[in-house]
Amino acid sequence: MLLPLFEWFDALRVGDWISNSSYAAPVINVMHLLALVVVFGSLLIVDLRLLGRGMTEQPVASVARAARPWLIGALICMLLTGLPQILSLPIRQYYSPFFWMKMRLLLVALIFTFTLRHKVTLADEARVGPVWGKVVGLTSIALWTLVAVEGRLIGLFS
Amino acid sequence: MSLRSLFEWMDALPSSIALRESLYAFPVLLTIHVVSLVMFAGLVVMMDLRLVGLAYRSTRFSQIQARLFPWQMVGMVFTTLTGLLLFYMQPMRYFGKVYYWLKLALIMLAGLNAIVFHLTTYRSVDQWDTTGPPFKAKVAGVLSIAMWACIVAFGRFAAYDWLTFE
Repeated sequence: MLLPLFEWFDALRVGDWISNSSYAAPVINVMHLLALVVVFGSLLIVDLRLLGRGMTEQPVASVARAARPWLIGALICMLLTGLPQILSLPIRQYYSPFFWMKMRLLLVALIFTFTLRHKVTLADEARVGPVWGKVVGLTSIALWTLVAVEGRLIGLFS
Repeated sequence: MSLRSLFEWMDALPSSIALRESLYAFPVLLTIHVVSLVMFAGLVVMMDLRLVGLAYRSTRFSQIQARLFPWQMVGMVFTTLTGLLLFYMQPMRYFGKVYYWLKLALIMLAGLNAIVFHLTTYRSVDQWDTTGPPFKAKVAGVLSIAMWACIVAFGRFAAYDWLTFE
């Protein structure tokens, strides 16, 4: 269904400067990876706290509030370094099952993070109870880990 | 025995060959290596950002350090074990790569930076925990972030045939 869109990406040739340089693609890929380091740091510090581990001397809400600008900033960097990687090889991405798996998981992870997880981290801990916090923390770690795994697999098998 | 012949000896070991010829060993080990590295480096960077004064300014540094340290170590164990296996299964792939050796040297330097910080600046943490880290501590934080960023980048660059020697 989306093939015409990816063919149009291909026809745009905006990715040509990346494909024509032997350094552009690896450098963009490394920037994507460095942004992922910050994404995971700002996620894990909060998810561990939700699980009752890590920074237990602080309330969940204050750990989450301090991590939020880093998470959002790093996710924007992921987008800015991710889009050129799609545009440089759109047809290859289109036919990679790992690419589509990653995009689906990413959509779920983003919606989960900015709705349910956001609500639970900022809510009154006594009202939320310990179980919900743990479920949300584990779900967050699992979803984002799978997104990263699928991302690594796009490069390995295509 | 030269380093090269040591690598060649390892390359010819049956278990090294078996891992190299396995269809799944490389993708599985590499994926675990990258994901656990990202988790480890992420928690290190969050701690360093506090040290530098860019994040969690209302939390004492000693608290972030003590609380995150065990989880940083969990990530480090996974990324180190898979890293050693990735090297063991293809020693000759990495032998001639400048970026691979630079990465190893930087891992040593980053470890040294952490140890020196702990044995010197961190000893007086009680004095600066509430007022904010001194200049020396901030330098250690900036160095740590810069070195781990280069370690991630050079590890990725080692996959290409850039800067190779015999």
